[in-house]
Amino acid sequence: MSDTVVTDTATIDPYVDQLLGKTDAADPTIGDVTIQNYTINFGPQHPAAHGVLRLVMELDGEIIERIDPHVGLLHRGTEKLIEYKTYAQAIPYFDRLDYCSPACMEHSFVLAIEKLLDLEVPIRAQYLRVFFAELTRISNHMLNLGSHVMDVGAMTPNLWMFEIREDCYGFLERATGARMHHNYFRPGGVHQDVPLKLLTDIADWLDTRLPRLFEDAISLVADNRIFKQRNVDIATVSRDDAIAWGFSGPMIRAAGIPWDIRKSQPYDVYDRMDFEIPVGTRGDCYDRFMVRVEEVRQSARIMKQCLAEMPEGPIASLDRKVVPPKRAEMKQSMEALIHHFKLYTEGYHVPAGEVYVATESPKGEFGVFLVADGTNKPYRCKIRPTAFSHLQAMDFMSRGHMLADTTAILGAMDIVFGECDR
Amino acid sequence: MRAPAPAYATNLNDATVDAINAALGGAVMEARVRVGEVQLFAERDSIVETLTTLRDTPGLEYQQLMEMAGVDYPERPERFEVVYCLLSLTRNHRIQVHVSTDEVKPVPSVTGVWPVAGWLEREIYDMYGVLFAGNADLRRILTDYGFRGHPQRKDFPLTGFVELRYSEEEKRVVYQPVSLAQDFRTFDFTSPWEGAEYVLPGDEKGMLPQAKGAQTPLTADQIAKAGAAQSVATPPAASSEAYGKKDAQSTAETGAGKPGPDGGEPKPANPDVVPTKGGGQNQ
Amino acid sequence: MMMNEGHSGPVELQRSAGAGAVVPPDQGFFDSLNGELTDKGFLVTSAEDLFQWARTGSLWWMTFGLACCAVEMIHVNMPRYDLERFGAAPRASPRQSDVMIVAGTLCNKMAPALRKVYDQMSEPKYVISMGSCANGGGYYHYSYSVVRGCDRIVPVDIYVPGCPPTAEALLYGIMQLQRKIRRSGSIER
Repeated sequence: MSDTVVTDTATIDPYVDQLLGKTDAADPTIGDVTIQNYTINFGPQHPAAHGVLRLVMELDGEIIERIDPHVGLLHRGTEKLIEYKTYAQAIPYFDRLDYCSPACMEHSFVLAIEKLLDLEVPIRAQYLRVFFAELTRISNHMLNLGSHVMDVGAMTPNLWMFEIREDCYGFLERATGARMHHNYFRPGGVHQDVPLKLLTDIADWLDTRLPRLFEDAISLVADNRIFKQRNVDIATVSRDDAIAWGFSGPMIRAAGIPWDIRKSQPYDVYDRMDFEIPVGTRGDCYDRFMVRVEEVRQSARIMKQCLAEMPEGPIASLDRKVVPPKRAEMKQSMEALIHHFKLYTEGYHVPAGEVYVATESPKGEFGVFLVADGTNKPYRCKIRPTAFSHLQAMDFMSRGHMLADTTAILGAMDIVFGECDR
Repeated sequence: MRAPAPAYATNLNDATVDAINAALGGAVMEARVRVGEVQLFAERDSIVETLTTLRDTPGLEYQQLMEMAGVDYPERPERFEVVYCLLSLTRNHRIQVHVSTDEVKPVPSVTGVWPVAGWLEREIYDMYGVLFAGNADLRRILTDYGFRGHPQRKDFPLTGFVELRYSEEEKRVVYQPVSLAQDFRTFDFTSPWEGAEYVLPGDEKGMLPQAKGAQTPLTADQIAKAGAAQSVATPPAASSEAYGKKDAQSTAETGAGKPGPDGGEPKPANPDVVPTKGGGQNQ
Repeated sequence: MMMNEGHSGPVELQRSAGAGAVVPPDQGFFDSLNGELTDKGFLVTSAEDLFQWARTGSLWWMTFGLACCAVEMIHVNMPRYDLERFGAAPRASPRQSDVMIVAGTLCNKMAPALRKVYDQMSEPKYVISMGSCANGGGYYHYSYSVVRGCDRIVPVDIYVPGCPPTAEALLYGIMQLQRKIRRSGSIER
């Protein structure tokens, strides 16, 4: 019976259609209304949007045809405000850019200032910076991995990973005084030294609590069938695409390019560190997830090396024209008082020049293009957010995927709007 | 370089400058090394060809466009500068490419070379109003829908012109002119004797001609001129007499500050003040 | 060890004056309550008290995470602080929520969305402004694109200071809101 049906609908009599039970031969959908692509609005208030992302999506059924991300819903004018603040006053703005990894944001800016000033940094300060940058990396990946897992439907790993985050916050609070916005890295070093007890506590934590909680949490999802179905082969990005779209960090490594600024362009004491760069093979969401998982283990490795090798010594440059003296010294020495006053009111003058300094933040290449004009305030401070290029690729990455895959794609991108919108 | 900044292959800087000059020739205005970074000043009209050459020439191989930054220099004839920050993954090297433009002259878009430039150009358009010819999607990106002006320009005020509030009458959020409870406290820390160009409150008194010998910012030349103008009227007194009482009368002579008929009106009695018995304080 | 032992639940307990000491639940109160219930089969209270008990004990909050404070807002939900033991559960939909925690910098582009979400919440509704940006602009007060305080857009009940407030601070803010609800009668007569 079925082999007698001619598929070329134009030649068939409507009567035949009626016999075959077709009501509208020209349109396979039932009824008179033609179903067209429709547009839905995702966000800006959505729990899976990781903040304030608005996606205008054009869908064909549940298949994504086009995505137009609208960003700027958290545009706070940071770059403009920095031009009105002295260099020291501008550092806290960097904490608030990527609020999941504040110390790594400070790192780029501080290195840019030091490059312009050509300022030497004591070796202990460099170790401390690397140490806390890696602690921040762990804390950032905990948030991202946990929320990625939660976006695709698992709950428990997130609870355990946030326990790790709480530990990280506790350590950072003990070192810097603030749970989240540390303002700890300063041009010339770090703000203050850490007590020995803190370092031993972190060493204990790295040996016992972190691996237990983290490996438990990951073992729940890494080989989980549902988790793999939601992530494997979702939003694959080829090497060429990753390069052309300006990817960096775990996004470019998942695509198979072993590019890590800590390794290829080492800053501070990363050149002394011995660690591996994980790379993906397929460039899909699962690879991005697993690259981050391995980075956590490598970060722990770097931290252990820092603890083993960290020398005693000053924690900030002794150049009193840039680094203010400690309060105790300021109370006793007239010269220290003058320096203290001058550095906390006028600040230091940075010689004119233009530098682009990029570091490996947990999310990718976080750069600062700093234009100094010889005064105590930056003339222009362009911040290179990691999320900008990644989010822009959202359109081609999610094309042809289902609507429900957007949350996995977004989760694997690791986007934070504080730095994306600035 | 003593600073612990990211150490990419800076030893390639000079070789890169030579390679750029060889590969691009006339399209480059200047290639130089500053603060350990290669800066390339390119012609605006040929920027697409320049960047394509930088990407495709063996020995340059800048595969990635990492960043585009706009900078505003209002005093220049072409006030805006667009900076492309390129990265070579194979040579492990970075370079800045600078292009200048103004409000009306469009910069050719490089979206054809790197698709990532789409949003970066949109951002510079949003922040500075620089036009990019060939960018198919040159909308605002960061600022509010319907925002007016380009906030990163140096002449745009930090606080903007409008602010937002909810209007109970209209049942929606509305814009209104900015009114700040407290002004932004901006301090200029330039020393007054190191080239501050403004007049501090009170400093205008210093602009008036002063007597000779007073602490004065006037130069010796100006004092000589002022002295010459004065000497026309009265011949200068002997130097030792400058401190005499001929021109500056003491209060003992004038009676200023003394109560009574010759020193002005006495203070009216304050009914709330009960005079103390004792003469001194803290009785 | 944990704060759980001091958990008062929906019923008010007598707190001892000794600050910081872990107060065990007043067993006599529960016993008398239980006795009354098993004896008579019902409890007598005023409707006002009943409503306030229900409201304070199930403050479902709208997750309006905008910026940095949102991370602390997540932390307060996670096992260490465990906000849910106060009956406060995160909701993604404004229709189901009673309180909106505005966590982070409110920018001009986001403000209409904030107001729309607030308008969609059902009465009675409360707003907690979390962090100095939401309180008054904070570090970004003079920016051209930031609303100088979310109270310009929505009426605010509780302000939690800090940049960002710690999870404890937000927890305290929520408890202050419960106190405020308990104090103010919410039935129209």
